Amino acid sequence: MRRPKKIRVNQSGEFDLDLAPLLAVMVKLVPVLLLSSAFVQMMVIETELPQVVSEAIQRNDKQETPTTVALEVDPKAGIHIILTVKGKEKVETVKLLGGVYDYKGLHEKLVAVKKAHPEVFKLELNPDGKVPYDDVVKIMDEARQARDNTVHFPVFDTKQGKEVDTNYMFPEIIFTNMMEG
Amino acid sequence: MSRRRRYEPPIKKNSTFTLNITSMTDMFTILLVFLLQTYNTAEVNITPVEGMRLPTSASMSNATEAIKISLSGDALKIDQNKLADIKNSEFLPQDLEAKDTNFIKPLFAELDRIAKSPEEKDKVHIKEGRILLQADRSLPYATLRKVMYTASMAGFPQLKLVTLVGE
Repeated sequence: MRRPKKIRVNQSGEFDLDLAPLLAVMVKLVPVLLLSSAFVQMMVIETELPQVVSEAIQRNDKQETPTTVALEVDPKAGIHIILTVKGKEKVETVKLLGGVYDYKGLHEKLVAVKKAHPEVFKLELNPDGKVPYDDVVKIMDEARQARDNTVHFPVFDTKQGKEVDTNYMFPEIIFTNMMEG
Repeated sequence: MSRRRRYEPPIKKNSTFTLNITSMTDMFTILLVFLLQTYNTAEVNITPVEGMRLPTSASMSNATEAIKISLSGDALKIDQNKLADIKNSEFLPQDLEAKDTNFIKPLFAELDRIAKSPEEKDKVHIKEGRILLQADRSLPYATLRKVMYTASMAGFPQLKLVTLVGE
C-alpha cells in the first residue's frame, strides 16, 4: 500500500514582513507634518481666565473701595509694590540686585501679598518708559502664576458653593499708564 | 593539449534585487515621532519676523485670529505692510501727531481702514478689536506704549503679546 504523502510544514516562525506599504504611508505623512510643524513655538500672553477666577475679579470690581495691587517699575530704584487697602497705601520696594531686577524677590513678595488678599486678581502695571520690553514680560510672568505648585490660593466658586484652590495670582494685568503722555 | 578554463566568479545574471527597507522605515518612524511632537495645533500661524528677538515667557496660551502687528528695531508693520520707520528705538517725528506724541498716524490710518473695510469689518477679531503684537525684546516700553495707545484709540483694545516658549 502506498504511504500518504507527508506535507512539509515550516516549523520556524520567521517570515519577512512587507514594509513597503508602511513606508509608502510614512513618505506621504512626513511632508504633511513638515508643513504643519512649528519649529519655533510662539505663545501669547493674554487674559483669558478660568470661570471661577473671572467671577472673583467681577466681585472685587463691584466693591466700593476695592483692594488694589500696583507695580511701578523704575530702572534706577527697582520695583515698587503699592498695595491699597480701604484707601490706605502701603509701598514695598524690591531693589535692584547687581543692576538687574530681582525677579525672585518680587515673586516672593507678590505671593505674600496674594496670600494676604486672595480676592485680588487684578494687577496694575506701570513700567517706566525706559524699561525694556523683555523686563516687562518677565515681571508679568512673575505676577501671573505661583511658580511653586504647592502654593494655592482660595477662591469661592459660586457654582459649587465652596472654596476651591487656584495657583493664579494676578492674571489680569493692566497697563495703567498706557494713556499717559 | 587541453586549454585550462578561466575562472569566472559566480555573478547573478538576474537584474532584480530586493531592497532592504527596514532601516529606512526605522528612520521614518523616528522622523514621524519628532514631527508629531512639533505639530502645530494653534488656530493661527505666526511667522517670526526676520531679525526680531522676541521675549520668552512661561505663558502657554495659543494665539487666536487677530491683526498681526510687528515692531522690530527698524520698522512697524501690519503683516508685511510697512507703516513706519524706527530709528534708535524711536518713531520718526513725521509719523507722530504733533500735539500727541503717543499717537502714530500711519498705524491709526491703517487700523481705521481695516475696521471700515467691507471685506474685513464683519470678521469676529475685527469686531472684538484683537491685536497680536510681536515686538523686539530690546525695545523700551515707551515705544510699545505708543503702539498700544494708538491701537486702543483705533478701536483695538484687546492686545495680546507674542512671546517665545521658555523661562
